[in-house]
Amino acid sequence: MLNKTAPMKTRDLVMVSLLTALIVVLALVPPIPVPLVPVPVTLQTLGVMLAGLVLGPGRAGLAVLLYVAMAMVGLPVLPGGRAGLAVLMGPTGGFLLGMIPGAMLTGWLSRRIRFGLEAPGRQITLNFFACLLGGVALVYAFGIPWLASVTGMGMTKAALAVLVFVPGDMVKALIAATVAYQVARHIEA
Amino acid sequence: MMQGLYVEGETWIHRLPAGLKLLVLVFAGWGLMWVTHPAWLLLALAAVWMLFWMARVSMRGVWRRMRPLAWFLVLIGLYVAWADGWLVASAAMLRLAALVLLGLLVTLTTPLSAMMDVVTVLLHPLERLGLLRAERVSLAFGMTMRMVPELYIQWNQIREAQAARGLESHPVALIVPMLVRTLKRADDMAEAIDARVDE
Repeated sequence: MLNKTAPMKTRDLVMVSLLTALIVVLALVPPIPVPLVPVPVTLQTLGVMLAGLVLGPGRAGLAVLLYVAMAMVGLPVLPGGRAGLAVLMGPTGGFLLGMIPGAMLTGWLSRRIRFGLEAPGRQITLNFFACLLGGVALVYAFGIPWLASVTGMGMTKAALAVLVFVPGDMVKALIAATVAYQVARHIEA
Repeated sequence: MMQGLYVEGETWIHRLPAGLKLLVLVFAGWGLMWVTHPAWLLLALAAVWMLFWMARVSMRGVWRRMRPLAWFLVLIGLYVAWADGWLVASAAMLRLAALVLLGLLVTLTTPLSAMMDVVTVLLHPLERLGLLRAERVSLAFGMTMRMVPELYIQWNQIREAQAARGLESHPVALIVPMLVRTLKRADDMAEAIDARVDE
């Protein structure tokens, strides 16, 4: 499923488009309950992590870039059907932009080592840490300074403010890691 | 489902080039970071408000778009007030309100096609470097737009099928078939395109 041939063949283009569409759908479907998290969560960031794991760094970056660009030109593709430059200028703008390098890092890390299908535990753990560093830590590394500067609160306080979202994102990283493994198994079977 | 937020209008704000509006937005965003006194920020907010009035945008529409964000702003305001006091909090709220409304104004007064033209111009340097081709970008964009409703239907089908079998909706159980089917679809589409176009 994951061939590394010449850049941007038809297949790559279609994969990027479909994963972008998947991120849009996961962002727009009603929030669903997730284990260990008290409130239903939107699955937008899950889509971003999955794009990284499934597509690898280059194509994942393009898919999330396309997603963010669609939101910026005014298409209601963000959770709750929001869109437009208002979101970018708002407190969460940095999180939105950070998803682009976040997906790329997730993809890059998950491609460093391949344990393969024979070692589900290790492969899922690797996927999980790739999602945690790329899809969570790097995204926050963009989001927190942005939040700190638009509100004028310090970095530490901004970091404390978004701490409540960390458990949910960790659960999503675990879900993405498991899903990517199971999907790879399905496709090779 | 995939309608842009643009609202038609005839004012000078609607007629301004999209690139210029985006540039103003970028500079406003950068500039207001350095303004810390609430009085100046209130002035900036008043200026944005005047622009809305000049653009003759329906205020009901604005409120509908802003409501989800408004709650979030209030929450942030309370948090900043608790952490840094009311002066910093009022500055933060005013700055955010001004920037968010200015962003919304650009989105509401600029048609999707004009925005896309700006994107094309921004992509030009990448095209020169040979990193991507503009027609591929618009093809990807078109395919994504085409597939969103399809995948939305697919999601609902999977949900309903699992509910009908009495399965509790677990995110992994929902998303695995979703992704498998999406990747299969990608295979079929790529084959179909390659069969029709020789490169």
